[in-house]
Amino acid sequence: MLNQSAGSELLPENLLPSGWSIRAGLSRKEVREFYDTFEWQAFNEGIAVVKKRRTLLLADLNTGKETSSLPFAGSPSSFFSDTLPSSHLKEMLTSLTTIRAFVKLCSIEAIITSYRILDDNQKTIATLTSEVLSLASKEKQEPFAHIFSLFPLKGFGDEMELLEKSLSSNHHEVRELCFMELFVLNMHAAGRNIQDYSSKIRLDLDSDAPVHNSVRQLLQSTFSVMCANEEGIKRQIDSEFLHDYRVAIRRTRSILKQLKGVFDPEETAYYLNFFRELGKKTSALRDQDVYLLRQATYFHYLPPFLQPSLRPFFTDIALSRKKLHKTLCRYLASSEYRSFLGEWDAFAHRQSTPDPERSPNASLSTGEVALHTIKKAWKKVIRHGRQISRETTDAELHALRIDCKKLRYLLEFFSSIFPHKSVAPVIGQLKELQDNLGDFVDYAVQLHFLRERLSALSPGKEELLLAASTGALIATLFQKQEEVRSKFHKTFASFDHEKTSELFDDLLNENPK
Amino acid sequence: MKTIALYSIKGGVGKTATAVNLSYLSSLLSPPTLICDLDPQGASSYYFRITASKKYNSDKFLKGNKKIYRNIKATDYENLDLLPSDFSYRNLDIELSEEKKPQKKLKKNLEELSDEYQFIFFDCPPNLTLLSESVFAASDVILVPLIPTTLSIRTYMQLLDFFKAGKLDSSKIRPFFTLVEKQKKLHRDIIEEFRNTPGFLTQSIPYNSEVEKMGIYRAPLNAILPNALASKAYRKLWEELNSELEKNN
Repeated sequence: MLNQSAGSELLPENLLPSGWSIRAGLSRKEVREFYDTFEWQAFNEGIAVVKKRRTLLLADLNTGKETSSLPFAGSPSSFFSDTLPSSHLKEMLTSLTTIRAFVKLCSIEAIITSYRILDDNQKTIATLTSEVLSLASKEKQEPFAHIFSLFPLKGFGDEMELLEKSLSSNHHEVRELCFMELFVLNMHAAGRNIQDYSSKIRLDLDSDAPVHNSVRQLLQSTFSVMCANEEGIKRQIDSEFLHDYRVAIRRTRSILKQLKGVFDPEETAYYLNFFRELGKKTSALRDQDVYLLRQATYFHYLPPFLQPSLRPFFTDIALSRKKLHKTLCRYLASSEYRSFLGEWDAFAHRQSTPDPERSPNASLSTGEVALHTIKKAWKKVIRHGRQISRETTDAELHALRIDCKKLRYLLEFFSSIFPHKSVAPVIGQLKELQDNLGDFVDYAVQLHFLRERLSALSPGKEELLLAASTGALIATLFQKQEEVRSKFHKTFASFDHEKTSELFDDLLNENPK
Repeated sequence: MKTIALYSIKGGVGKTATAVNLSYLSSLLSPPTLICDLDPQGASSYYFRITASKKYNSDKFLKGNKKIYRNIKATDYENLDLLPSDFSYRNLDIELSEEKKPQKKLKKNLEELSDEYQFIFFDCPPNLTLLSESVFAASDVILVPLIPTTLSIRTYMQLLDFFKAGKLDSSKIRPFFTLVEKQKKLHRDIIEEFRNTPGFLTQSIPYNSEVEKMGIYRAPLNAILPNALASKAYRKLWEELNSELEKNN
């Protein structure tokens, strides 16, 4: 039960049935720290992650029942699930994510006092817990809620009914509160908006609206993703902040490039150029992140006697990552970048229709442009895919991967104007092909990187083992790349299939909503 | 689950005080515990400030399991529950005699509770009736408080005879001395006489005016005055009995 008028003292005895009384017990303070990932992955699965009394515990958000717990000292601002000691709780959290950090969302201080409710026989019939909640901080905070929990003793149901009746007729501010509401209450008090971030594009486009409006909606959305991730990039919470930031840049560029004639070409070129440069500034850092994420996999590829010799490789990467991070942070704080963001924000929010002379397609309907551009991009994927030779060269696969990405971004951008049941299977088909190409290019990039590292090694004896382990990695990655390459034609054939073209036909012939 | 009856043909020997304190001690050491007040006078219910709900009566008790379960109430002590007695229990004997196998009734009625409790205590009324027989069959241990006096010993002998005649298992019977006043020669002599008699527990409970005050505190003596003379004796008595039970397991 909740009494919003914080600070009001406990239920006066005149609210109780006659002859009953309340006896106060001990008071104690408890700090509760709530954790989740930036994308609310625990919340999305109905799980609350709470640290209290030197214990980390998971609770079911719907029932409030504790499902798992683990001794947990300290109060880190974030932690990764795979660093926890082996336990059921670790399994639960690693199944949600190992890549994203669990970040401390808020610290709530609860002053808990327990009371006993005695009947006219002085027999305890229920215990009452009062919790005064406030944000934990050095300065004294005003409480934001006062929660009462009533726990009847076994066999005293009749007396409880009497008590509840008495309370509800005497106290109009009292209402029941479930665990989920309490969770939400805590978050709001701490200024957290639940599920306020997702890297996925969630637009609600109108297919009849002029396309420049729809594109602006997308640009606003990718812009807000970029802004939302800046803090996490700076604080190095996990590698997904930078990743999402980069994807937002790519989406922006891809849509601007593919939808020609929607905005002033000169203006578009200026922004595109800036975003390309911005993307480049983040690439090297992302590469280092990816290598660090692959650390365990790389060790796993090597026989045990070679594993230690690879350590300097990762030490170097961590060091270079540190420098790159510093450079990027400095840039993100620079006036050049900040003023560009200002300009870009204004552009994305501009209401007026672009000059029809310089932007002839601006007023076309979103649906029309969607059909046209998706069809074009799809045909391109099919055409280029069919041209890929038996040898399946690196260059061919690289190029096709980019075609696929363009198509994917278009589908995701326009998805809200199509029925979900027609767009989802198309994306599903495309994803398989993209996975194959993505793996291939990943291996190619790694091989290239390792080759460069190898050639930079000094011929001396000290680096002999490092050279050997790098060589072993190259051999393994090459094998893997060849496996992926050999699967390409089969994967493409299943994409370039009647079934897929039927799906695309369905999608493109169906009138957008 | 172990079931322990506090039983004596004679009244005023400290059955209820022992049941209340031992059940409290067992709830601390091997939780959880249930105490069943079978005496229509409801003394142990009174000690725990519990009265049966209006709907509860001997009928429900005889129906058993779920009906009983629903009427169990929590005491003010964690892990210690009580099935209160009701005044209608005074007719239990007549009602039992109408049942098919009255001696086995109690055991059957409590079957479902065996998962729930480590210990069940029966606080029995002072007489030798069908209900008593039902208690004998349902109990693993029958604790018999004896005041070290001739009359008390005599009722104990009567109980043994009853078991013998009915071919009941008299090894369940565990007498122990209560309300012992060491300054009385008779008390000392009787205790001495039975010191090595098989079945007798060695720990006795001294006469202690604090025990009588339980009616004022309405709480187990061991909960409010754990260092009272009688509290210490109850604790030792429980330890003696419990270690025997553990040994036999």
